[in-house]
Amino acid sequence: MEPSDEALCQRVAKRDEAAFDLLVSRYQERAYRLAWSMLRNAEDARDVSQDAFIRLYEAAGSFGGRSKFSTWFYRILVNLCLDHKRKHRWWKLWVRDEDDDRSDTILDRQPAPVVDPVDKMSREQTMKALGAAVDRLAPRQRAAVLLRVQEDMATYDIARVLKCSEATVRVHLHRALTTLKKTVEKR
Amino acid sequence: MARHPDTDLVPFLRGDLPPAERDRVARHLEECPDCRQDAEQLRDLLGDLARSMGQPPTVQWARYRAELREKLEARRGRRAWWSRPMPLAVSASLAGVLLVVAVWGGREMSRGTDPLSPDEAVIGHELGLLQEFQTVERLDLLEDLDVIGDLDGLASGQG
Repeated sequence: MEPSDEALCQRVAKRDEAAFDLLVSRYQERAYRLAWSMLRNAEDARDVSQDAFIRLYEAAGSFGGRSKFSTWFYRILVNLCLDHKRKHRWWKLWVRDEDDDRSDTILDRQPAPVVDPVDKMSREQTMKALGAAVDRLAPRQRAAVLLRVQEDMATYDIARVLKCSEATVRVHLHRALTTLKKTVEKR
Repeated sequence: MARHPDTDLVPFLRGDLPPAERDRVARHLEECPDCRQDAEQLRDLLGDLARSMGQPPTVQWARYRAELREKLEARRGRRAWWSRPMPLAVSASLAGVLLVVAVWGGREMSRGTDPLSPDEAVIGHELGLLQEFQTVERLDLLEDLDVIGDLDGLASGQG
């Protein structure tokens, strides 16, 4: 029987390298994908997700088992992503990465056509606009949406990750989704 | 009708609400067509969002883990150096140097500020403010116009 994440974490605290490798292999894809969704840069996502694993290794002894391992680990990862965004906020004003702006296509740069107002954007363009709108959300709102949609996390667990109340998470999600709904309705 | 459960709809759709709250929201949705429509739109939107997230660039996971290992080893190496106890002679020497710097630095500071140049001394004498320093000291300049308007009163100790 496969050991649980919590059991592996306790073994990592005792410097069990095999347990650490197993935890990494279980979470590497999710960690990288979540970091990429938050940072929209592949290289940063690699670095930050690897930093999260290093923190896991160093802090495994402090995981008391009061929450699920995934909640504890995602808190580390999300905090590192939020810190990374804060540090690079000013730099990003001047330097745009190819990954960063998914909405800047030739189609988006065209002026609005003076044609039939009933014209509707294709499903693909709506998806793209929605993704770009997620990128523009405030960091904590974005984190809440990503944890809900990508990781299918319960509101209670999102609150533990973001270290806020459940009510605050509900407000984050409500505001974020209201903003995103307007993006879709405009199309 | 009870208040609209705007912020409760997302957890409701996932089944996260405790039973009492879930029942309350369900009853409201039966009675409120606007909220029912909102809930359906939210369900569609959450589905669209999942599809819109896209996939990150592919990663070679063996290489990713190897990089992680290198970073971990490098970190351990830095920590080991830092936590290694210094030889006693080096510690004592360092302590001695720090003591000398502290004593010398303290003496320099106790000599006070640089003496005024003759020009600065003349200018200082001409400035009436310095002669009325006690008055100036008791002013909250720039913040209390009433005080500024009664400077004479202050000078005589009435402020």
